[in-house]
Amino acid sequence: MRAFTEKHGLFVARLDATEREVVAALVADVAELLGADRFDDAPRPGGQGEPAGASTAPTAPVPTGPAAPVLRTEDVPPPEDPAVRRLLPDASRDDPAVAAEFRRLTEDDLRAGKVARLRVLWGLLTAPGGGRRHDGLSVSPAQAPDVAAALTDLRLVLAERLDVRTDEDAERLYDVLGDDDAPGRGPGTDVRRYLVALYGALSWLQESLVGLMLDHARHARGSGSSGRPTSGG
Amino acid sequence: MAGAAGARSVPMAVPPPCGASGATYSGGVPVQTAPDERVESAEQAAVADPWVTIVWNDPVNLMSYVTYVFETYFGHPHEKAEQLMRQVHVEGRAVVSTGSLEGMEVDVQAMHGFGLWATLQRSGV
Repeated sequence: MRAFTEKHGLFVARLDATEREVVAALVADVAELLGADRFDDAPRPGGQGEPAGASTAPTAPVPTGPAAPVLRTEDVPPPEDPAVRRLLPDASRDDPAVAAEFRRLTEDDLRAGKVARLRVLWGLLTAPGGGRRHDGLSVSPAQAPDVAAALTDLRLVLAERLDVRTDEDAERLYDVLGDDDAPGRGPGTDVRRYLVALYGALSWLQESLVGLMLDHARHARGSGSSGRPTSGG
Repeated sequence: MAGAAGARSVPMAVPPPCGASGATYSGGVPVQTAPDERVESAEQAAVADPWVTIVWNDPVNLMSYVTYVFETYFGHPHEKAEQLMRQVHVEGRAVVSTGSLEGMEVDVQAMHGFGLWATLQRSGV
């Protein structure tokens, strides 16, 4: 795996076939947690060794499943899975009525948006890799915000499964990787080490992508002029 | 509440100068002051607008990503975005926008879309 660098106006990382498969499986898992059909039920587009065209447009699977209701009139209960609840958190800490109203109004849209962003990343991971070694993962600047947000959601789910609740937990997370001779190692430890390594790799990948995105955003705005893109209100 | 940095000055509504209407006016001339560019529009509205969006610290989100969100979504200059990001990281939370309940719902939904942990609440609570 190689971090993102900018090449010819694209953000390009390198992930070999195994790395793509591992990350794509996690993408499908998180999309499923959010209520989507599994992405990998659809026929896998492309394959290893196919000639990579100049444009590697992802062929996203056609969305299936029941359409979300246009307007909910009843409350939506908060997700029971703490990882999903972290992806769709309460909008109020002290006012259940505000949190419930927010959930009723926004949760369907938020789920759909997150699944759509995961699907962008899925498409990139399952498209034929670019470059001489077919391991290039090219992200256009237009796709980059979706990819960065999807990477965030993958990391949020992994962190929840790894019981990372505080900054201290996060700092201690990697201790397990250097702990080859730790007593009492069992299958659980191996799973944890696998998830920690994946979390670390995704963090590193995201950091490199966001660095490029920040550079782009700052160049695009020129000499630091401010201006709210939102209409306010 | 750990509010946004700086004084919360509310610009007074200043009536336009009378001009050459012919009426005798012996009072002070109201001066239209230019808005202070350093004061964020969100802060200007802090008292008038009863709701705030708060972003909370979490152990997962990258500092660079939080800065990116504050720069691109709220349109803050990068110094301001980094200052807000540090406030979230060090103090545990920061007020990132103020306005109507409906406006804050839009901002909180956007933050949740980005994967940041945001809540809304009444200003001054």
